[in-house]
Amino acid sequence: MDDRPSRFDTRDVTRIVVFAAIIAVLGIPGAIPIGGPVPITAQTLGVMLAGAVLGAWRGAAAVVIFLVLVLAGLPLLSGGRGGAGVFVGPSAGFLIGWIFGAFVVGLIVRLGSRPPVWWRTALGCFVGGVGVVYAIGIPVQSMVTGLPVGETAVTSAAFLPGDLLKTVAATIITMALWRAYPRAFGNPIRVRA
Amino acid sequence: MISLYRPGDSALHRLPAGPKLLIVMALALALSLAPADPWLLAPAVAGVAGAYLLAGLGPRDLGQEAWRLRWIVLVLAVGQIFFLPWQTVAANAGRVVVVILLANLVTLTTRTERLVDAIERALTPLRRLGVNPGRVALMLSMTITTIPVIAGYATQIREAQRARGVPLAPLAFVVPLLIMTLKHADDLADALTARGVD
Repeated sequence: MDDRPSRFDTRDVTRIVVFAAIIAVLGIPGAIPIGGPVPITAQTLGVMLAGAVLGAWRGAAAVVIFLVLVLAGLPLLSGGRGGAGVFVGPSAGFLIGWIFGAFVVGLIVRLGSRPPVWWRTALGCFVGGVGVVYAIGIPVQSMVTGLPVGETAVTSAAFLPGDLLKTVAATIITMALWRAYPRAFGNPIRVRA
Repeated sequence: MISLYRPGDSALHRLPAGPKLLIVMALALALSLAPADPWLLAPAVAGVAGAYLLAGLGPRDLGQEAWRLRWIVLVLAVGQIFFLPWQTVAANAGRVVVVILLANLVTLTTRTERLVDAIERALTPLRRLGVNPGRVALMLSMTITTIPVIAGYATQIREAQRARGVPLAPLAFVVPLLIMTLKHADDLADALTARGVD
């Protein structure tokens, strides 16, 4: 599969754009700040979907575009947050983790341009959307807030139920989308006989 | 799209966006890596307050910006108070607030377009790796115009479901939203191709 950035065509570009916008729109209903200094958000659902639907490179690109707009001062994070401050705040690592998370989701879900199947989608959304994001987010949060990594991980566990729920939702949505609109998953998918 | 930018004509406003972002982010990073020591924190608070004044943002604005961080502080403090002595918790929370206030100074004094331009210029060396800065700039501006379109789809779907008496179900909401959005992406692609953007 060659979906590296240098191969992006116009259709890839617009898909990346609309997914960056989807991640922004999923932040509109508002965040419920609870459990840790990182507000709960439906935006991680958008990150998982970007990886699952667009694949590794395009999914990560959608997250990068979204984050660049946040850095440039648009209040697109849930709760109307944005600006350079969020990239040095407690949730900075989680935001950067989204990029790698979407990439890993795409890698696993679309393993060599294969069509998504439910178990690989669930696994990918969990490993990429939860595992990778936490693995980058927790150490950075610990560094920023001064609370040791172990204790930070304990406070972050409060998000685990929500993130598991989002993994399930992302899996169901991806499979439903695959049935309803397979074109969404990109230029001709090689269906293996 | 409402940006977090505050118009003004101070020295900080006039500083070019790229260097300003770099310098302030480097300072913020250094401050957040430094130990949360009250002796270090006090001059940092004074420095940040001074910088806000220099940017033409008075104590009112500074207070407003700090007030926006109330949830972060509250939640951070609640999370730490079980593990650390309260003096440390206060110092940690203070440091986080100072660092965020400092970094937000860039956002408050720089137009979004200027920052986007600076980021685009910073991408130029990545051309070798196949990143096309012009295309990135196009994608950034397209995303800004697409967000309201998709927010409109979301409202449309919600209203249609309410009209049919469907209870608010996240799954029944996101799937149609994605399909409408991806169709919109294909229309956009056709429009770009028709205008000769390869």
